Amino acid sequence: MTEPQTVRTETPPIAQPAVEGKYVYCIIRLDKPRDFGSVGIGGGQRVYTVHYQDLAAIVSDTPLVIYDPTREHVLAHEFVNETVMREFTVIPMSFGTVFRSEDDVTELLRSTYQAFSDVLDKMQDKIEFGLKVLWEREKVIANLERENDEIRRLKDEISRNIASSTYFARMQLGRLVEAALEGVQSRYVADIHEALKPVAVASRSNKVIGDRMILNAAFLVERTQERAFDDKVKEVSRRYEELLTFKYTGPWPPYNFVNIKLKLEKAN
Amino acid sequence: MGLLTKLLFFPIAGPVAGIRWSLGKVQRVVEEELVDDAPVKQELMELQMLLELGDIDDAEYAQREAVLMQRLRDVREWRERLGMATAGGPVRVARESDDDA
Repeated sequence: MTEPQTVRTETPPIAQPAVEGKYVYCIIRLDKPRDFGSVGIGGGQRVYTVHYQDLAAIVSDTPLVIYDPTREHVLAHEFVNETVMREFTVIPMSFGTVFRSEDDVTELLRSTYQAFSDVLDKMQDKIEFGLKVLWEREKVIANLERENDEIRRLKDEISRNIASSTYFARMQLGRLVEAALEGVQSRYVADIHEALKPVAVASRSNKVIGDRMILNAAFLVERTQERAFDDKVKEVSRRYEELLTFKYTGPWPPYNFVNIKLKLEKAN
Repeated sequence: MGLLTKLLFFPIAGPVAGIRWSLGKVQRVVEEELVDDAPVKQELMELQMLLELGDIDDAEYAQREAVLMQRLRDVREWRERLGMATAGGPVRVARESDDDA
């Protein structure tokens, strides 16, 4: 069951003697060789294409290592995809995918040809944007206190310190605020989705990161709608300027909208 | 917590099989923690968020990232040692004969 591990688990940066593997960034439709410059992972490797019929894998040479998902490595991976994306519709590969040889990459293209072709058709001229929304909890609560009579009344009661009721009033207040916060959060999220829906092809909500985030979404957008999407994001972020922070990123390859399960196995 | 309680009290009253069962369970829980990289990846995403928000600087990021990378490597090593699948490293398209390997 356990194969012997011959791979090194660190990535020695320079002076790498054995350059036998291929790091694969993405798949595009292209039938003639193309060079994307020395921008590859592991210190500016040359990025080029490996072909099968009208499909091409964007690769760079690499030693057979496991790439840790450090910021530096992830940025290198993304930079290549961004560069290629400027001209092509891409199917991004997951970070850290290394094949042993060019033949293995060709075999990937050959055996998955139909699925890649279908997805490339579907993703033609579509790009992804990421939108993370964080809130200023304190400000939202302050807002609630102004707008919600029940909460305001309880706060008053507590601040006037009517001894007998304080403890329960506090508990009640806590529960009320929590419930109101949940309501407000889903209203904000629904509102943002509603605003962006007309200019997006699809959207997907991911798990929020950390305790300030209320929305972590990806949107699939037609290239021709990029401007319109952009404007909508700005508009909705202005609407919530006081309360919410919008983290808007992209364009990305459609990471969240391509789901091809590759049958890969360890190559030792 | 519950596990600790069982370990501390159950064996006193329980049969020998109970002790063995508890130890087996402890080992399983420990193994599950050792071989699960999801929490580390979650922490990595949170760390990246902190950097993007400007809550931490590059130096602190680098320092904390290094710790998380070491944990990822540890997880990988445990998975390998226990004969489990690991992400990363050279791959090839699975041969049709050994599908669903």
